[in-house]
Amino acid sequence: MFRWAGMQISAFDLVDVTIPGWVFLLVGGLVIVALAVFYWRMHKHTTSSLRYSDIRMIKRVGAPGRGRYRVLLPILRLLAVGLLFVALARPQSGSQERELSTEGIDIVMVLDISGSMKAEDFQPNNRLFVAKEEIENFISKRVSDRIGLVVFARTAFTQCPLTLDYGVLSSFLRQVDFGIIDDGTAIGTALATAVNRLKDSKAKSKVIVLLTDGVNNSGEIDPLTAANIAKTFDMKVYTIGVGRPGNSQYTVDDPIFGKRVVYMANEIDEETLTQIAEETGGRYFRARSKDELGAIYDDIDSLEKTEIKVKQYVNYKELFPKFLLLGFVLLFAEAALSQTVLRKVP
Amino acid sequence: MEFDEVREYMPGDDVRSIDWNVTARTGFPHIKKFREERELTVLFVFDASSSGYFGAHGRFKSDLAAELCALLAFSAIKNNDKVGMIIFTDHIEMYIPPKKGRGHVLRLIREILAFEPTGHGTDIGMALEYLMRVTKRRAVVFLVSDFIDSNFDKPLRIANRKHDMIALKIADRREIEFQSAGILELEDAESGELFLVDTSSKRFQLEFASRVSREDARLKKRFDSMNLDLIRILTDEPYLMPLMAFFKRRGKRR
Repeated sequence: MFRWAGMQISAFDLVDVTIPGWVFLLVGGLVIVALAVFYWRMHKHTTSSLRYSDIRMIKRVGAPGRGRYRVLLPILRLLAVGLLFVALARPQSGSQERELSTEGIDIVMVLDISGSMKAEDFQPNNRLFVAKEEIENFISKRVSDRIGLVVFARTAFTQCPLTLDYGVLSSFLRQVDFGIIDDGTAIGTALATAVNRLKDSKAKSKVIVLLTDGVNNSGEIDPLTAANIAKTFDMKVYTIGVGRPGNSQYTVDDPIFGKRVVYMANEIDEETLTQIAEETGGRYFRARSKDELGAIYDDIDSLEKTEIKVKQYVNYKELFPKFLLLGFVLLFAEAALSQTVLRKVP
Repeated sequence: MEFDEVREYMPGDDVRSIDWNVTARTGFPHIKKFREERELTVLFVFDASSSGYFGAHGRFKSDLAAELCALLAFSAIKNNDKVGMIIFTDHIEMYIPPKKGRGHVLRLIREILAFEPTGHGTDIGMALEYLMRVTKRRAVVFLVSDFIDSNFDKPLRIANRKHDMIALKIADRREIEFQSAGILELEDAESGELFLVDTSSKRFQLEFASRVSREDARLKKRFDSMNLDLIRILTDEPYLMPLMAFFKRRGKRR
């Protein structure tokens, strides 16, 4: 970004005129052309000279020597004048700063880490692993949203508070594993924790994305009550139930019998999850495979598209000092040269 | 007073001397001239071209020339000679017919000093041809000029045959040699042409001096071949010595 800022003239509230830069450039151009024509045409009449009786012999023998570089002097002078006019026109270079408005939305990802998430129905790994992968994927698509992470099993705690630092968030997410919390599924408590995190937020939209694969079986807060609270605070809850219909395969590391595979029925409280979602204006999704889970997060991503306000700031940097300096240097050089090396008599 | 001749009227002649008979017969104005008894006519052919308005040492060449004319004119009236003058540039600027008397000489000097020439160039040949037309009688002619001209040899030869010619060459030191004075912008006094010259160049100084002295030697040789006397006078040198030396030499020759 480059512009000619021109000059603002204001005095005592009487005059307040902005002379645009091009006026200076135009006037400068005209002045230079006029001066050049003047120097060229009027040289004979303006130059000082010594009268000499007969220069024919001198012309035959002599040479201008260094004097022939005197033609540079008017050129230097014109250049200096031009540069000073350019400086008057006040060139500015703007570095455009695309500042993304951080007024995004606040999202709390709620992740179930109960034992049932070990089910290996989402190839190639267990549900938690896949869920973590997809959440990370989701995070990477968001810009300017504050995102937090709440994990829960028997109880719930905030793994990462709302933050814009997605790097930290991702590393916190990667640390999530089974066994941090006693086994269980406290959907209500988890929801309440998420609400607690979001309640002071001033964001336009507050969203909770709850991922679980079970039924609320612990905690002191009923999921629907928690949903009600969320509604009061104007939050949207998207719920995701994960797990294939039917039985799922678990690898159990038994201290006595070693590793073995067990099958267990998947029980997802779809009714409650749907209610929670509908109560708060969100949606309930059911993920039966890794791809479906990915698609659901994409859905949520597109549903919660924040209007990113791009504020464009143009930071103008004044360039005129360089032109001014160069102009004065040339002017000085012209004066110095014409008085020293290229000095002419008279 | 003895009748001398009838010749065509020239500007500067006294209108009272016009011979109406001859004028009526020929259709051109003629004057009747009378000869005065035994006296010398001294004529100055004075070059007032712009190249004279130059001098790097206190006075212009034209000032020196005027001074010389005044000196010679005064010494002429002491001998009761008639003194006249032709002032020329590239044309005849003024003709003052020869006359006697102190007042006339003073007028002559006044004319030289206050003269504002209308021309700039130099045409010695034309001036000499004019001289031949206005004076039929033998005279002592001082040709005062810087001789910055060419193609005047033939009229000079003719004039020298008729008159007793003495060439006074006025020059300035800076027309002979240059010292290092940096870059000079010189303007030709006659043509107004500009030329930038670096006088600090040793080569230029030497070359210029040698060329000028060669040119001067050639002029001297040409004048010698015509048997014409040449006196060189520089603006920064006293002129009495060369003048006196010249007249001494001349006296011996006579």
